[in-house]
Amino acid sequence: MKASTLRWLIVIGLIVLWEALPRFGLIPELFLPALSSTLIAGWNEASEYKDALGVTLYEVGISMAFACGGGILLGAIVGSLPRPRVLIMPMVSSLYAVPLVILYPVFTVWLGIGSESKIAFAAIYGFLPTMLSTAAGIQTIDPQLLLAARSMGATLSQRLVRVILPAAIPTVLSGLRVGGALVIVGVVVSEMLISSAGIGYLISRYRTILDSPHVFAGVLLVLAMAIAFNAFIRLLERKAAIWQTGTRGGQTATEEIAPGALQPAT
Amino acid sequence: MQSLANITPLKPAARAGSIQINGVGQVFRTTGADVVALADVSMDIKPGRFVVLVGPSGCGKSTLLMMLAGLRQPTSGSILINGAPIGEPDPNRVGVVFQEASLFPWLTAEENVEFPLALRGVPKAERRGKAEEMLKLVGLEGFGKRHPHELSGGMKQRVSIARGLVQDPPVLLMDEPFAALDEQTRMTMGDELLRIWAATGKTVVFVTHSLTEAVYLADEVAVMSARPGRIVDHLQVQLARPRTYEMLSGDAFGTLRERIWRHIRKSA
Repeated sequence: MKASTLRWLIVIGLIVLWEALPRFGLIPELFLPALSSTLIAGWNEASEYKDALGVTLYEVGISMAFACGGGILLGAIVGSLPRPRVLIMPMVSSLYAVPLVILYPVFTVWLGIGSESKIAFAAIYGFLPTMLSTAAGIQTIDPQLLLAARSMGATLSQRLVRVILPAAIPTVLSGLRVGGALVIVGVVVSEMLISSAGIGYLISRYRTILDSPHVFAGVLLVLAMAIAFNAFIRLLERKAAIWQTGTRGGQTATEEIAPGALQPAT
Repeated sequence: MQSLANITPLKPAARAGSIQINGVGQVFRTTGADVVALADVSMDIKPGRFVVLVGPSGCGKSTLLMMLAGLRQPTSGSILINGAPIGEPDPNRVGVVFQEASLFPWLTAEENVEFPLALRGVPKAERRGKAEEMLKLVGLEGFGKRHPHELSGGMKQRVSIARGLVQDPPVLLMDEPFAALDEQTRMTMGDELLRIWAATGKTVVFVTHSLTEAVYLADEVAVMSARPGRIVDHLQVQLARPRTYEMLSGDAFGTLRERIWRHIRKSA
């Protein structure tokens, strides 16, 4: 059986279990409400969830722009210039290890409990991995490629646009994948902690009144958001980096060429 | 003599593809002591010659090649290509083929070959036509749409050669281009290179570790000593062309190989 078929079967199996276990009383509804009652709960309060989703998406969008834009920009600077690298990298690396959520209460004091504090927190949360992997991506570019470009008379700006940027894309994208996921985590977590709107807030509020179907409806929405984001990054990766899968592609190529005998394989 | 040189037009020396290396030295400044990589290297290469540089590891042969490419400036002495000094990389005079595939992995074979032209803003259609012509020259017709990871090692180096020749420079520099290939592929690529060289009439300067490859390919072989690198012998290879596999076991071939080996063993 193919791995992808198996994966789908597992997902379908989990969904069936989600519906069946609570329905047959094997798990209390408080712990896990059946999928159908979760969906119905969400549907009944559709406008409330829609508003909350709007707030959360707005916060995620803005933080994502800050985290990715700033992360790529600063990562590019730090990756290509040794002086700022020596200054900044050790600080950023140690900051990355700190559980940044401890800063969130401070942000609410500074920026209030509205969207601003969430955006600030999530942007910083997602910024660090994006920056670190962009810097790494630029630092690890094969110097041979830059030398070759120089031998062909490429100017500094041509080397940046035509060599450094495309060469860094795969690492930058993998940074965006982590950074973007952290932005979603950051927004939802901060909404759950101190706030008055958003999906995280809804989840947290319904939890306090032990309304599990509504809690899980919120969870489903966050899940959908994360999956959509992941699919988007995957699409980007597929478009931008066909060459990333070097060894695998190389092998299939030789298999293709050999029987055709178009050319001696040299 | 001085006055005579001033009057005589320098035309013959300035012919396309000529290389003059005059007392070139290269010193690497490191913390502690300066390392002399090359000391007083002089060589005069006539247009259309196939010159091979051999020597032990670290003898500065790649450094010399980088200086010929304008990628590194000599600490002393001067280098003239087509009779004019080479201050910075000039793809109209010099094409370079590097050791391992230095192809851009995100570009297709033809886009890689077009790259030097794209840098100069040559229109797309003209670029494509030129790239196809070059890929045909190196025997890769029909492989233009493939990415480097879809090509074998030898094919990648063919693309590199096509890229080095795309601006039709009179000089082609090759820095151990076949070092990463297996021996069979290497032999085939040697023959291919000689075919391309005969078809284009370029001056080729070729750096290698392999003595067999050196004698097999070259018109002349410059043997270099270990650091500080200098030229200790300059052999003319009088073997007939086209070179054949049978020559490898001939006496003339063996004598030349031995002579190079003696120099290298001495300095190693």
